[in-house]
Amino acid sequence: MSGITAVARTYLVTNLRERITLFWFLVFPLFLLTILTLIFGGLGSDLETTFAVGLVNSARANGGPTDFSSMVERAFVHLSSSDSPDRRPLFRLHRPADGEDPRAFLDREKDAVRIGDRALLIEIPAGFNEALLASVGGAGPPAAIAISVSGGRISSEIARSIADQVIAGVNERILTVVGRFDPSQALTVESARVGSNGRDFLYVDFLLPGVVLMAFFTAGLFGVPGTILFGRERKILKRYWVTPLETRRFLAGFSLGHLALCATQFVALYLLGRFAFGARVALLSPLSLAFLALAASVFLAFGFLISSLARTANAAMAIANILNLPMMFLGGLFFPIGELPAILRAVMLANPVTYLADGLRTALGVTTPMVPCAATIAVPVAWAVVCVVVAARRLQWGAEQ
Amino acid sequence: MGCRAMSAYRALLGAELRIFVRDKASLAFTFLFPLLFILIFGALMGGIGDAEDSRIGLAVAPNEEGRQLEQIVSETGRLSVHSHPDRTALEAALETGDVDFGAVWDGDRLTFLYDARRTQENHTFEEVARGIAARFNLLLQGLAPIVSTRVESVGGRGATGWLNLVVPGILAFSTLSAGLFAVSGHITGMKQRKLLDRMIVTPMPRVALLAAVISVRLAVVYVSTLITLGVAIAVFRLDFDVDWLRYSLFVPAGTVGMMGFGTVIALVVRQPSSAGNIANAISMIMMFVSGIYFPIEIMPAFLRGISRAMPLTYMADALRYATGVIDMSDTRFWWTTGILFGAGVAVLPLLARYVVRADRR
Repeated sequence: MSGITAVARTYLVTNLRERITLFWFLVFPLFLLTILTLIFGGLGSDLETTFAVGLVNSARANGGPTDFSSMVERAFVHLSSSDSPDRRPLFRLHRPADGEDPRAFLDREKDAVRIGDRALLIEIPAGFNEALLASVGGAGPPAAIAISVSGGRISSEIARSIADQVIAGVNERILTVVGRFDPSQALTVESARVGSNGRDFLYVDFLLPGVVLMAFFTAGLFGVPGTILFGRERKILKRYWVTPLETRRFLAGFSLGHLALCATQFVALYLLGRFAFGARVALLSPLSLAFLALAASVFLAFGFLISSLARTANAAMAIANILNLPMMFLGGLFFPIGELPAILRAVMLANPVTYLADGLRTALGVTTPMVPCAATIAVPVAWAVVCVVVAARRLQWGAEQ
Repeated sequence: MGCRAMSAYRALLGAELRIFVRDKASLAFTFLFPLLFILIFGALMGGIGDAEDSRIGLAVAPNEEGRQLEQIVSETGRLSVHSHPDRTALEAALETGDVDFGAVWDGDRLTFLYDARRTQENHTFEEVARGIAARFNLLLQGLAPIVSTRVESVGGRGATGWLNLVVPGILAFSTLSAGLFAVSGHITGMKQRKLLDRMIVTPMPRVALLAAVISVRLAVVYVSTLITLGVAIAVFRLDFDVDWLRYSLFVPAGTVGMMGFGTVIALVVRQPSSAGNIANAISMIMMFVSGIYFPIEIMPAFLRGISRAMPLTYMADALRYATGVIDMSDTRFWWTTGILFGAGVAVLPLLARYVVRADRR
């Protein structure tokens, strides 16, 4: 037993002590969880961005009762101030200086939009008030506000959707002012989340299981062949074989060490997800832990398969590198997989990561099952069996390259 | 270069080419990976931002207002509308993924339903829902919008999708990788395997070796980016308006600039084997924070600050400009190109003197 634990301890300590394995097996998953949660976790909530927007009102009518253009202008000006010091204003407005030729201002601002220095240019054109009155009276189409956007820039698209919401509010306000819209009869709009017992999941709840699996996958794909083949090439394994340690006991210790590495990864990621980002998924439930144990075992077997297919450690790293990203992305670890072309779908369906990710997330209730429940266990187990059989036949523990 | 240097250069050029072609991992990273990224991301996320293409489920009271809501929804974007007899049936369809989001009109209130598990997409559905609610709100009182917008797209191609932005980003990442790993990978690898020790004791001038490495990398990365661009256009029917002069100048300038960055890594990291690993880690981190796959605009403020410090951010924007996806000032483009090229060339003497040399005994 002491031989097994000694091998396990050596495996774990070696992987955590080497800076490069420490980075890829532990630091990088933690970085990825952090960065993706920071980027996507806040989607749809208040933006932290302030968009530079040009605004010109060519229809101002000195604040008279029909000066609707000033009402529209004020709605946009309101976005350039913030209610609280903690929140940035949504727009930083650029307006013509006193006495500046509006035409020259428009040309300059349009050029600024083109090169990305402004997200939008909003122009309330001359004749806006008259067009609006005609529209209110049913004698014309809606009065148009001209918006210039920068093609291809996401900032322009986001700023435009904000401007659309402002215009929707302006429509209601002006119709209220002219006595056509009754705010007390305004539509009641509600929203509700369904699925997963109505709980509203956070993005980190979806991401955390994926990053844990990615960490296990990377450890299996790179750690197992790396340890075996570099050990073989540097004649470290040879030293084991001259001790009374049998191959099966070495394997048991090796596997135990690998599972301990996965457990370390899991604990670090769980703590970060739970306490830094507020993940609420029940990753500690027995079903989830069973799935994670299955995943760690399958990836361990996968690592043995690569060790048996590659003749040298460098070749194994090359194979692992080639398989790594396609298997991760086509396994739906970070983003849900939707419609795929036939070839990629075939790869996805042959990929054990797909089943493990789907099974784990379904068990946690954070996704709609994509594959049958039985397949989430059967396919990974089949992969593990095939990997172990091939590795048992091909892997040469003692051969020196 | 003198005659001896020229003949050394020719011999080394052939050797470098053979080394590159025989190195399956390098071949895969240079040619296969960018293609895989394009194919996988294009297939997985080609529909990003197209919430108006979604499937909406409707459960509406069978009256005039219900019909008006159906009319508004059918006129919104390219939504495909699925009718359901009641809220329970709609919720079931939402749970099984038959519809993306739903709307229930009970004659009194309008309720939008979202799948709690689709955390990444719900905000785009909510945006579409807000537009529907605004129009329905007016229509219920017999009104129509009196203010509308007339949108004009200036610069870029106008109707570019998410993939149009990603493809030049991937080309920029290929350029970065090729330059970075040419030094912190290839040259440090030669050093680690003692190949440099053997070469340096020959009459070969160091400049010939450097010129051969640079020539092969420049040619390879240029061809690789062209293949990637061609596949993206052929497979996903993407539309680019490539300015070949700017493209053909930027890709080599970016590669040389990143070779300079690779030199800095090789100088800072004394262990040759570690330089490649550090370069790999840095490039991976840059990939996530430089707006290659995720727009910088949706990032938190401090990440946007980090993004602005990354050369890859500027490389991606310059290639988006050179491929006609976005517009920028010509001055900014030439500054980016010039700074990358100048920085790379400025560091070359350091590369020749401190990296391309025999290992200390």
